[in-house]
Amino acid sequence: MKENRIQAPVISEDWLAVAIGGLIFLLSLAPFGGIDLLGWSASTRMWMDLGKSVAPIAKGSALPGIASLILTFAFVLALMSTGARFLGVHPVRFAGAFTLVFWISYACWVAGHYAYIAATSDKLSGFGIAWSLNLTGEAGYIIALILGLVIANFFKGFADRIREATRPEWYIKTAIVIMGAALGVKAAESLGLAQAVIFRGLCAIIEAYLIYWAAVYFVARRWFGFSREWAAPLASGISICGVSAAIATGAAIRARPVVPIMVSSLVVIFAVVELLLLPFLAQLFLHHEPMVAGAWMGLAVKTDGAAVASGAITDALIRAKALEADGIAYKEGWILMAATTTKIFIDVFIGVWAFILALIWAGVIEKRAGDKVRAIEIWQRFPKFVIGYLVTFLLLLIVCSMNPEAIPAAKIGADEANVYRQLFFVLTFFCIGVVTDFRKLWQEGIGRLAAVYVVSLFGFVIWIGLAISWIFFHGMKPPLAG
Amino acid sequence: MAEPDIKEELARMRAEPLLPVEKKLVGWSLALGAVLLILLIWASYSFFPAQG
Repeated sequence: MKENRIQAPVISEDWLAVAIGGLIFLLSLAPFGGIDLLGWSASTRMWMDLGKSVAPIAKGSALPGIASLILTFAFVLALMSTGARFLGVHPVRFAGAFTLVFWISYACWVAGHYAYIAATSDKLSGFGIAWSLNLTGEAGYIIALILGLVIANFFKGFADRIREATRPEWYIKTAIVIMGAALGVKAAESLGLAQAVIFRGLCAIIEAYLIYWAAVYFVARRWFGFSREWAAPLASGISICGVSAAIATGAAIRARPVVPIMVSSLVVIFAVVELLLLPFLAQLFLHHEPMVAGAWMGLAVKTDGAAVASGAITDALIRAKALEADGIAYKEGWILMAATTTKIFIDVFIGVWAFILALIWAGVIEKRAGDKVRAIEIWQRFPKFVIGYLVTFLLLLIVCSMNPEAIPAAKIGADEANVYRQLFFVLTFFCIGVVTDFRKLWQEGIGRLAAVYVVSLFGFVIWIGLAISWIFFHGMKPPLAG
Repeated sequence: MAEPDIKEELARMRAEPLLPVEKKLVGWSLALGAVLLILLIWASYSFFPAQG
């Protein structure tokens, strides 16, 4: 691929996600002062008439939907192109690719809101239809993912053309920073439940780290004969958090860079398989245990993008199923919160885990004279976008808990910011598809690596994740809507 | 950067028997997981009961 960097990055993707997500968060705080700075942003509605699919998020706004959408695109394009420059990417080339990525993703998002696809049982009569697929508007995410996969695997030239803007990790991290505020408001309304989700999420990931990693490492070493240099990044990649964990572990044990790179290419492919399977399995079998389903997504699905994305799909699918099967309307976002909380804790602990492995490798397994492991490495490997998430979450949680009268204004702001959260989510889904090249599975020699992945992931990682989620989250239900 | 050849890389991998220290690492990790599981379940259900 042509090298399009114009300079070295001056800021990491993580900090850039904090900056862009933080800016949108700050603009969304305006309703506290009685001002509306984001009311013009385009909100997507369920539709039978395409002309009514997009409208400004502010109720009663006279702005036409298409104008609102063009303004939203221009705003996001300006933000991301400016950000791209800080990443050392040519902003004009990025803008060209991003324009295509945006409009294709948005078209998928609108398509997913078609009433015959999206309408839940309570909305059918409103649209004058007798049936629907009951997938909610989040079906747009699946459509974006599938289209991305088609492009990656059948239209490689086009995938390369938009490569500059296919950055799923950047988009999902930005979305997570924005999402912190909305979850903070929700948590303030049900503080006890939020505390339980956070504490139990922490417990779940402690268990996952200790059981998952050791089991996968043993399988890779004993059953598949991988060397230590391969087994450790594989164990982290399969069991913990995909790409970032494989890279952090590779660095911690001083593996050659080629090892985590190869592991990462598999992580991305299998994360997509999980993303396409697990939310639907959860809807089928776990709609009576919604929070178990959310935590399961956070524990079992690898990479930030796929894990949080599967949390969003599961949230929508389970709420639709609970409404249809049991007439129970759960509040939106709590299942996603369980998925995000476990995933965020996993991310936070990557640095700690890598530090522990570095100590063991340098001090015991592969003793090297003068090889010092410094505690600062924990901070260096800390995913900085988590700071953005924590700040937006805690700020809104504290403000709304101490001052309940502020909740209505906070909700208006959170709804406006949610437009951008959803937008970054759909960009993430599309881009995950575009970077997933299934042809890699046919690459000569990859079979052994893929075999250990399949055995570990589908043999026990997914099921241990389910068991841990069940142990810590069963019986816990999201608040009821209305 | 040139795409690494996975077949070549895996062929180059040396056979390494599982060291006692690795067995200890796996064993301790699983044992700690089992002990903490009990402790964390107790803490979760005692101090952060499920609501909803």
